[in-house]
Amino acid sequence: MTTDFEPPINIKGSEAPQIVGFLCRWCSYPGADLAGTSRLTYPPFLRIIRVPCSGRVDPLFVLKAFQDGADGVMVLGCHPGDCHYVEGNYHARRRYALMHRLLEYVGVERDRLLVDWVSAAEGRRFAAVTADFTAQMKELGPWGGKRVDS
Amino acid sequence: MTAKIRAKAQELLESGRLSCFIGYEEGTRGRVRPAFIYAPQDVDRLIWDERCTYNLVTYLHQFQSPRRQGEKLPPVGILVKPCDSYSLNVLFQEGQIARDRVYVVGLTCKGMKVNGQTQERCQRCAERVPLVYDVVLGRVPKTVGREDYADVAGMEGLSPGERLDFWMREFDRCIRCYACRQACPACYCFECVAEQLDPRWVGIAIDVPQKQFFHVMRAYHLAGRCSGCNACEEVCPMDIPLSLLNRKIAKEVEDLFDYRAGQDAETPPPLATFEKEEELPINV
Repeated sequence: MTTDFEPPINIKGSEAPQIVGFLCRWCSYPGADLAGTSRLTYPPFLRIIRVPCSGRVDPLFVLKAFQDGADGVMVLGCHPGDCHYVEGNYHARRRYALMHRLLEYVGVERDRLLVDWVSAAEGRRFAAVTADFTAQMKELGPWGGKRVDS
Repeated sequence: MTAKIRAKAQELLESGRLSCFIGYEEGTRGRVRPAFIYAPQDVDRLIWDERCTYNLVTYLHQFQSPRRQGEKLPPVGILVKPCDSYSLNVLFQEGQIARDRVYVVGLTCKGMKVNGQTQERCQRCAERVPLVYDVVLGRVPKTVGREDYADVAGMEGLSPGERLDFWMREFDRCIRCYACRQACPACYCFECVAEQLDPRWVGIAIDVPQKQFFHVMRAYHLAGRCSGCNACEEVCPMDIPLSLLNRKIAKEVEDLFDYRAGQDAETPPPLATFEKEEELPINV
């Protein structure tokens, strides 16, 4: 199997953005799984954290990720209306609409946080979203407010 | 006004309806401090003037649990300015304190002064009469302030890099005394995220991003709940402009959800509810 991307091991700086992805266990994580089983390739800089629901992703998780060295954070959940827990992503939608603006205000560029909806059938979309986001992070470069030791 | 407040407090304490009356008294070095009056003969300690800026609603949390097991919680009397009445509404709304346990003595307010100048937050205040009270004392002033978020808009005009520099510089001064949290009427968790050990959200390293984490966390926890009483900024020993952060969130909450904290005790808070078909600007 050939890949379109360099393995991340020897890449440093803005060429290797640190991206954390919070993926919901019912839609986006199986979506990422589908991307894998479909042999789709996407940039290897994403660290996936599986969570029960996008509603589980406390905005503090995002803040902590940025503080501890992330350049970009993705929060992916089920499409509104499809939440396994009926209303988790509705709550997430409200929280992150506000969190986006707050983060921008304290100096995290708006593009560094992505909140999107990826269903379990959208492996192709997952790969595309991840590739777009990684490209954006490479363009923005490392975030300046991290912990020194991160 | 002072005489009226004393008379009212005396009447309430003598009737036995209240166990304690919370007001202001003369402190040290020309300052005012909160007074807890338990006996009618002590009401002469109470005062009221333009230095009485503290939000007394914070102290209601002390009367939340009985001192002895099985003891019925006694009602408390409290002096409330218009800005404090928002905080009171937030506590009623969140079920922190029952309405019938507080006897609210509302005061009309022309604005508090510091060094002879009307405080900035009072210049922005559009309310002259408390929104919630059992009795209201004082004449209603004619002048009303207006909130235009001019300083927040000024911050928004900067580039993200400049804003990051600005906040890192401000947060760098933070000594993490957590006085801002302690003074806040809406910060009443028994265990604060800032002091949790497992998971330990806020580390103890001398590191600006950890201070930043605390401040952004504190501000976000008050999203849709902060009523802008500015108690946090007043107590900050390092003069960190916390109102600039709090009011940004208040502004965005108003913009996104058409909601202002503390206007009444019935409307559900914006982040505790949702609408299925709503268009919210995410990622834009």
